[in-house]
Amino acid sequence: MRRLGFALLVSVALTGCVQTRQYADTQFAPPSGDYKLLVMRPDVSVGSVTTGGLVEARADWTESARAKLLTALRAQQATRGGNVLILDRRDSLPGVSAETIAELERLHGAVGNSIAVHKYLGDDLPTKRRKGLDWTLGQQAIALGQKSGMDYALFMHAEDSFASTGRVALQVLGIAGCLVGFCAPNIGGAGQFAYASLVDLRTGKVVWFNVLQTGSQVAGIKFGDIRTDKGAAEMVERLLGRMKPGREIRRAQRARS
Amino acid sequence: MSGAEAGHGLDRRTLLAAGGVLAAAGATGVASARVLPAAMVPLVGPGYRPVDADERGMWQQMARVEEEIAGSNLVVQDPALAKYMQGLIAKVGGPAAKDFRIYLVRIPDFNAVMFPTGFAVIFTGLLLRMRNEAQLTGVIAHEAAHFLRKHQIRQWRDTRTKTDLFAILAMGAGVAGGAAGINTGDLTQLGQFGTILSLLRYNRVLEAEADAMGVRLLAEAGYDPRAMAETWEQLIAEEKLSAKYRRKRRRRDISLFGTHPSPESRMADLRVSAAEVTRPGVFYDARRASYLAAIEKLRPTILDDQIKLNDPGASQYIVNTLAQDGWNGLLRFHEGEIYRLRNRVGDDIRAAQGYAAAVRYADAPADAWRWHGIMLSKAGRREEARAALTRYLAMAPNAPDAAFVRQMLVS
Repeated sequence: MRRLGFALLVSVALTGCVQTRQYADTQFAPPSGDYKLLVMRPDVSVGSVTTGGLVEARADWTESARAKLLTALRAQQATRGGNVLILDRRDSLPGVSAETIAELERLHGAVGNSIAVHKYLGDDLPTKRRKGLDWTLGQQAIALGQKSGMDYALFMHAEDSFASTGRVALQVLGIAGCLVGFCAPNIGGAGQFAYASLVDLRTGKVVWFNVLQTGSQVAGIKFGDIRTDKGAAEMVERLLGRMKPGREIRRAQRARS
Repeated sequence: MSGAEAGHGLDRRTLLAAGGVLAAAGATGVASARVLPAAMVPLVGPGYRPVDADERGMWQQMARVEEEIAGSNLVVQDPALAKYMQGLIAKVGGPAAKDFRIYLVRIPDFNAVMFPTGFAVIFTGLLLRMRNEAQLTGVIAHEAAHFLRKHQIRQWRDTRTKTDLFAILAMGAGVAGGAAGINTGDLTQLGQFGTILSLLRYNRVLEAEADAMGVRLLAEAGYDPRAMAETWEQLIAEEKLSAKYRRKRRRRDISLFGTHPSPESRMADLRVSAAEVTRPGVFYDARRASYLAAIEKLRPTILDDQIKLNDPGASQYIVNTLAQDGWNGLLRFHEGEIYRLRNRVGDDIRAAQGYAAAVRYADAPADAWRWHGIMLSKAGRREEARAALTRYLAMAPNAPDAAFVRQMLVS
């Protein structure tokens, strides 16, 4: 999960804005109506950026951000008609063993890595050209759907970081330096990174994948804070709010209108 | 020491750091003082829980790592062995004796890792190389010391402080240089290099601490503290032989860039430290029998894993080292296997000799009889081959190739 996060993080350019990049199966229609969504142990980590630019994890920030993100996710899915079940621990799904969940998580880690390499890092596969998102978790995912009665599984990872006082002071010095000809106005350091992966448990396919990155190159300027209700809702909306249907579905919609 | 002298010393050090970095890089044997075992007091008590924000963050992240490792299919499923190793870390775990967890993973490498929350991962390759309980406990004591001395969080704090300082100095120098009209880029790069070297040096200091404390914990638990130096002696000799077979020289990391002190200097320090904590007149039991009993079920597998690496130099050294405590059928069989897989001129004969020697021991594995039979058959000694293969089938009637061997015997 962490490694996948890193590969995706490399793929998004460092720019001072909010950006997302989503891919969908050609036949993908965003879930709506009365559907059941299983959220697979969301991986959240929040840290502080040290003066030197390292990210130091903070347990209290991570915990509050995790709780707020889950609340926001529930609320956001409810507007579409979805019933959300959040898997807190590997063994919290009745009738499904912790090993089964662990194996599916690892499988998703490997498949997600392949998506990162071939969709986000630019190493295009000729066999998957013009096929939208063409990856599957196979029988294991279908079996989980049958056992749990869920329609979709969502894998989610979110990171947020905040510039420490020292980092901000360093940034101020860098900007002040512009006056004497040593200009370092964008040392950067803090920002958000998240990805979400939606698996259709009836077919086993990864039907939709999105990567979100927000940040500025100026330490101290932020585009959201997932430790707050507002910031968490914002991230969920940016990540999951605008699910685009797959190409075939869009074409059919256009033909109808 | 007067203030002026102290100031002078500092100046000299600064000068060395700034100007002598490249010169220092050339001198590989930068000697650092040995850490004294007596100075190594535990920094955590029983049931330790972190209080500081940075350490709590680290622990929280580690919970998921431990879950992942504990559930990995690389973990060896042998409850008796797990209990045995848990018992060993309890002996050398000092105040945290009851808090440690050990996971044995099936990787044929010499390695062990302690994580900041008190769980250790030990590779089966390490278990294979240990001759007795004292040696294994020595490694475990070293790992326990990492936790007891809070090494991971100290390492992190050191990294944080040094990168902070570097960032401030680089920015400060840049702005000052800008004001004075000097480009400080080269100096900044030199400073960055110095920061990296300093981080690696701190890592080596912590390793030396773990060695010194490990020796002490080992002696206090009633084991011969010299066992730790023995382990390094074995590792150095193994690496040498492995390199010789490949017609290469043993890899020697430049110690300035190493995360660990060189095996040679560790061995030397460990010997001195061991002498310091050895109590004269005490008989130390290496507890070889209990060690062998604990790994008995696993030993054929981990020997096989090592041989299949096809690193004949290392494998041969390991088999010969283990055989210093007495040859047996299992070791002789694997001696034959090393030659068979190496496959140089004359190795078929050497392999056949290994199998022939193996089957003379009562504990020869079924595969020894199988290969002994095949080698005899190749040599045209049909009746003896038949007898050996029959013995193989009797020992392993459900072997994957049993039907094939039966057919061979019939025709």
